[in-house]
Amino acid sequence: MTSSSGGWWATRRNRQLALVVCFLLPSLVIFFLYRLLPLGWNVILSFQAWSPLKPAVWIGLENYREMWVYDDVFWVALKNTLIFIAASPLAIAAALGVALLVNSDLKGATVYRTIVFLSYPLMAVAVGIIWRWMYDERGGIINYALRASGLTTRPIGFLQDFDWALPSVIFAEVWQIIGFYMIILLTGLQSIPQNLYEAARIDGAPAWARFLRITVPMLRPSLFLCVVVGILNSFSSFDLVYIMTNGGPGHATELLITHIYKAAFVQSKFDYAAALTVVQFGLLMILTVAANRAAGGNAGAVERD
Amino acid sequence: MITRRTLLKTAAAAAATAVIPAPVIGQSSKKITFLTWNIIDQKELIEGWIKRFQSTRPGVEVEWLDKKGPDFGPFYQTQLTAGTPPDVINTQGALGLEYAAQGALLDLTPLFAKEAAVKNRYDANYLGNWVYEGKNYMVPFYITKTLLFYNKPMFAKADLAGPPKNFDEILAFAQKMTSGEASSGFITLNFDWLYWPLFAMNGVELVTPDLKKTAFNTPKAAEVLDKLAKATQSNAINKISWTGRWVEPNGAFGAGNIGMLHAHSPAYFFFKGQGSWVTPDTLGVAHMPGNYATPNSHGLGISKGSKNPELAWEFLKFITDNGQAGELAERRKLVTGNVAVDQASLAKLAKDDPTVYQVLKTQLEHTDKMTGNWRFGNDSRIKEAFWPEVQSALLGRKDAKSALADADRRMARELTRA
Repeated sequence: MTSSSGGWWATRRNRQLALVVCFLLPSLVIFFLYRLLPLGWNVILSFQAWSPLKPAVWIGLENYREMWVYDDVFWVALKNTLIFIAASPLAIAAALGVALLVNSDLKGATVYRTIVFLSYPLMAVAVGIIWRWMYDERGGIINYALRASGLTTRPIGFLQDFDWALPSVIFAEVWQIIGFYMIILLTGLQSIPQNLYEAARIDGAPAWARFLRITVPMLRPSLFLCVVVGILNSFSSFDLVYIMTNGGPGHATELLITHIYKAAFVQSKFDYAAALTVVQFGLLMILTVAANRAAGGNAGAVERD
Repeated sequence: MITRRTLLKTAAAAAATAVIPAPVIGQSSKKITFLTWNIIDQKELIEGWIKRFQSTRPGVEVEWLDKKGPDFGPFYQTQLTAGTPPDVINTQGALGLEYAAQGALLDLTPLFAKEAAVKNRYDANYLGNWVYEGKNYMVPFYITKTLLFYNKPMFAKADLAGPPKNFDEILAFAQKMTSGEASSGFITLNFDWLYWPLFAMNGVELVTPDLKKTAFNTPKAAEVLDKLAKATQSNAINKISWTGRWVEPNGAFGAGNIGMLHAHSPAYFFFKGQGSWVTPDTLGVAHMPGNYATPNSHGLGISKGSKNPELAWEFLKFITDNGQAGELAERRKLVTGNVAVDQASLAKLAKDDPTVYQVLKTQLEHTDKMTGNWRFGNDSRIKEAFWPEVQSALLGRKDAKSALADADRRMARELTRA
């Protein structure tokens, strides 16, 4: 049958295209309904004054002006979110160290790998509760250990102190995610061809040079994935902060995501929360694009044979 | 193929449906939803109420939903947005007023006008907590306000005879009972303005009587805040007062090394369960100086979007009448705001459980001195503007004057926006 007699369906390429579309359609429909549509509505809402029982009124940039000029908490939350993000590289570096260790000939490496990974599948709520008790000023094991070892004489209110609260929450966050980073990096390490190392050794390259010239460049896609996950995680660390400190003391651990939640569901400012969400989304996009650029610009792309 | 007989039968059935009295049809499909705030432990009681209510109203169905405190607001807000709000709702603190201000709740004032006996069943001062712009939106379900619990052995050890009579005595007594890190003198709950009696007893007003302007940024307020911050720094006031919510302060008092706890009545059952030292001989119960107390009651209201408001009103009256309210009071050892029920319940408790009697008695006394119960339509925003700044001062992060100035600026903004 020729293309002229069979029409559009006659060519093999078009039939393949139709098949691809059929496979993609369910996902695309879900993506449209649950991602793009709410996002679009959220953007519109950010320019309106609206509450569940009152009709929306167009107010232009008023919500953004409120955020920029009057909302001190927004700036605190933004700063804390950026600090949270900045902590990701430290977690990734630590995970890389662990991954290198368990990838070596270390005895019992499999056991260590399992132990490090164990924290990741735990629910964030459970992690929050566990760490809250560990940090507890009166009966927490950390304060007990610090006092027993003579490092401090007075208990530290890790989650009650303005200076300690954010680092303490970040530490718990790192503890949970490090296992995930380690597995990603370990997979990357194991996919590096060993002949590259052998050639480097023959050429007399020292260990640090092999690490910097072979391991790090070859790990770039894995590192990019970790960075993106780290950024996403920093933006969505709602559960942990909510359980451990609820943004306090004051707003010392307030993140954009907790600020958005409180604006919408505690203070019923859905319109303002929408504007905050738009800003958070914009920031997330910028950081993700920057991370992609840093990873060579084609991270995540599928290479064709 | 449709025969003539089938056609006639169908027409007859349609005609019969049309002439069936409307109430019969309505009754067969009437359903209301009852949303409560974290009382899943009373499943048996509430299901019993629903069964009794349904048994006298054939065709009526009541669905019960219970949400924990943090989940309640998001759930109700989403249901409002969807246009399917639960018919009867039970909220805590000032949340009911916020919903009323948003237009989510039915004004009960006309219903009270028709049925004065129902209105008269409730304690007037507690009922007044849910009046917004002259209209009553909720009725009491179970009521609480703050009081002072004190550890008698610690008082005796510090050579203190009885509860403090003014603010300075609270601090002085607290200081006397403080011993380094081992013990502190005073602790308070802080959520929902529960700490406000400490300011009220010093004559500090949060807002002007018309609720339009801030009134707290005064030298006296700065002095009070400064004293509280210094007492916190010296551990006379336990720091958990300003960082914990419910479990932590009550648990700390239950541990037996804090002299006084300022909390509302349900705290008693919590710390009693934690502290073996709590007996009728060792626990003192008193009003705060000046008899000031902040209410944190649970109210019942009807969603304006209810499809069956008459039935919802029937249900609301049913669960707060003497029978059901009496059951609730007896089972949970609380006061309901139903005057007759509470009187009977307290008379019984005076014989059966003197300590609970002492605790609950305070809830019905000096109800004219309730404070921290401003009728704001945006209470959560006002709190969010005020509390973090004051908390910063209490924990030594800011000086009192700067904290009050910052709180003033932020709160004035919210009052203007309201």
